[in-house]
Amino acid sequence: MKKVKTVLLGLIIPVLVVIFWWYATNYGNTPESILPKISTVGKTIGAMWTAGSLQEDLIISLQRVVEGYLISAVLGIVLGTIMGMSETVRKIFQPTVTTIRQIPIMAWIPLLILWCGIGEASKIVIIVIASFFPIMVNTLSGISQTPLEYVEVAKLYKISKWKTFIRVYLPHALPHIQTGLKLGLGVLWMAVVAAELIASTSGIGYRMSYARTLMQSDVVIICMIVIGIIGILMDKLLTIIFTALTPWERKRRERG
Amino acid sequence: MAEENSLVINHLNKKFDVDKKQVEILKDINLTIKKGEFITIVGHSGCGKSTLLKIIAGLVGYSEGEIIRNGKPVTGPDTDCGMVFQEHRLLPWLKIKDNIGFGLDKSDKQKWNETVQKHIELVKLQGFENAYPSQLSGGMSQRAAIARGLVTSPDILLLDEPFGALDALTRVQMQKEILRIWEEEQTTMIMVTHDIDEAIYLGNRIVVMSARPGEIKEIITVDSANAKVRGSTDFSYYKQKVYKHFFEDERETEEYNI
Ligand SMILES: Nc1ncnc2c1ncn2[C@@H]1O[C@H](COP(=O)(O)OP(=O)(O)OP(=O)(O)O)[C@@H](O)[C@H]1O
Ligand SMILES: [Mg+2]
Repeated sequence: MKKVKTVLLGLIIPVLVVIFWWYATNYGNTPESILPKISTVGKTIGAMWTAGSLQEDLIISLQRVVEGYLISAVLGIVLGTIMGMSETVRKIFQPTVTTIRQIPIMAWIPLLILWCGIGEASKIVIIVIASFFPIMVNTLSGISQTPLEYVEVAKLYKISKWKTFIRVYLPHALPHIQTGLKLGLGVLWMAVVAAELIASTSGIGYRMSYARTLMQSDVVIICMIVIGIIGILMDKLLTIIFTALTPWERKRRERG
Repeated sequence: MAEENSLVINHLNKKFDVDKKQVEILKDINLTIKKGEFITIVGHSGCGKSTLLKIIAGLVGYSEGEIIRNGKPVTGPDTDCGMVFQEHRLLPWLKIKDNIGFGLDKSDKQKWNETVQKHIELVKLQGFENAYPSQLSGGMSQRAAIARGLVTSPDILLLDEPFGALDALTRVQMQKEILRIWEEEQTTMIMVTHDIDEAIYLGNRIVVMSARPGEIKEIITVDSANAKVRGSTDFSYYKQKVYKHFFEDERETEEYNI
């Protein structure tokens, strides 16, 4: 029952948006090139699907996103962990990392095109740069904020460093890692679309910028909706995985 | 003779850096504890009782002096010396059974299970094996922590106010339980408590500490069997003896709780 209520509450705004959209396009005088009718969008989706272009663009972008995300997740978690566990390593890297983080992702694109060309590599690298930092920084704080009281318990029982990591530091960091992965997810699409807008001949971002030059607002809107839906699906998937990984967190929340 | 002693502390001093200043916490502690003795420690809040236990456990270093634990100078924690902390310190992500079995070698899974189960029953937590610490009450958490301390059967067990969060009834039950374990396993027990009745009831000797810097004011040997009977004249005699220290010290009649 509670679940149904949650879903229903979450649907209020999308439904309002659709009603407004429907009203504006049917009773207002909004030109189709600015805001297409819902029915036009529906027809275009059908046409794009049968032509196979929607799937094609989606798969290309999705491949880039997943590949880049996996790389940055592995790099972010591993480096965040090492920096969290060793104060020396942290001191070596922290100033440099903080400096690099200040550079906006768009500012990387010109240099990356010069270095990696406009092939796959430059897109993957952009994605990695964008999503790596939130993952690493959150992993780092999750590990380094592990209460010393718990570490002391492991010390008392002479638990090895590795086992202490597995049984004390890592479980403490898991919720933080989840936060990092979710933040990383949020910037993934921004990075891939930005890269595709500027330097690509394929993918959802490319499709959007191409459609804009043809004044096809319906295609632009479809691409945006598709990105949004895939985004929320990936976010939900992460939630499911981490709920399974951290059962104690749920019990704690239940108790309040 | 040396093997007869579980613990020898000679001229122990401990200072902590607080705000770049050295603060004296423990001053000239001398204490020899025989194997199988039950020692209780009472003293004002902040006088360094927890610090003393952690130093004995090898978790905290010391500034001067020497400590010999089981015939060897203390350089760090070892499996022959267990500790139940003042806060329960159960790991939030481990189920109760895994918390209790935390320090126990898991290579023999069956033995691990049996030992853990035995201790779960000992502290009456049956049915909560698979619960997480957040699902337990304060007293239950403390009992789980006691089980974790006992499960490795250490030669020396350090207990830092282990019954603090228990209700009066469970408290008396646990005191009896700890006495039973002590007699059965012949563990050397060193227990900090703020309950003077408990100190008399459990201790062979009571170590009375002064307020900061923590010094040993007196070591009271409870050598009359009658003293173990609550309400007996001997019991009141020892009680007076302990109280006396706190009142000379403070020159005020506060609650009979320290
Ligand atoms: N790591 C530390 N760094 C600096 N000071 C500390 C540290 N640990 C303890 N102290 C100080 O040492 C003193 C003794 O602390 P301790 O915890 O041993 O007291 P206690 O006798 O156990 O008190 P209580 O009965 O309240 O538990 C306190 O003043 C405390 O502030
Ligand atoms: Mg204390």
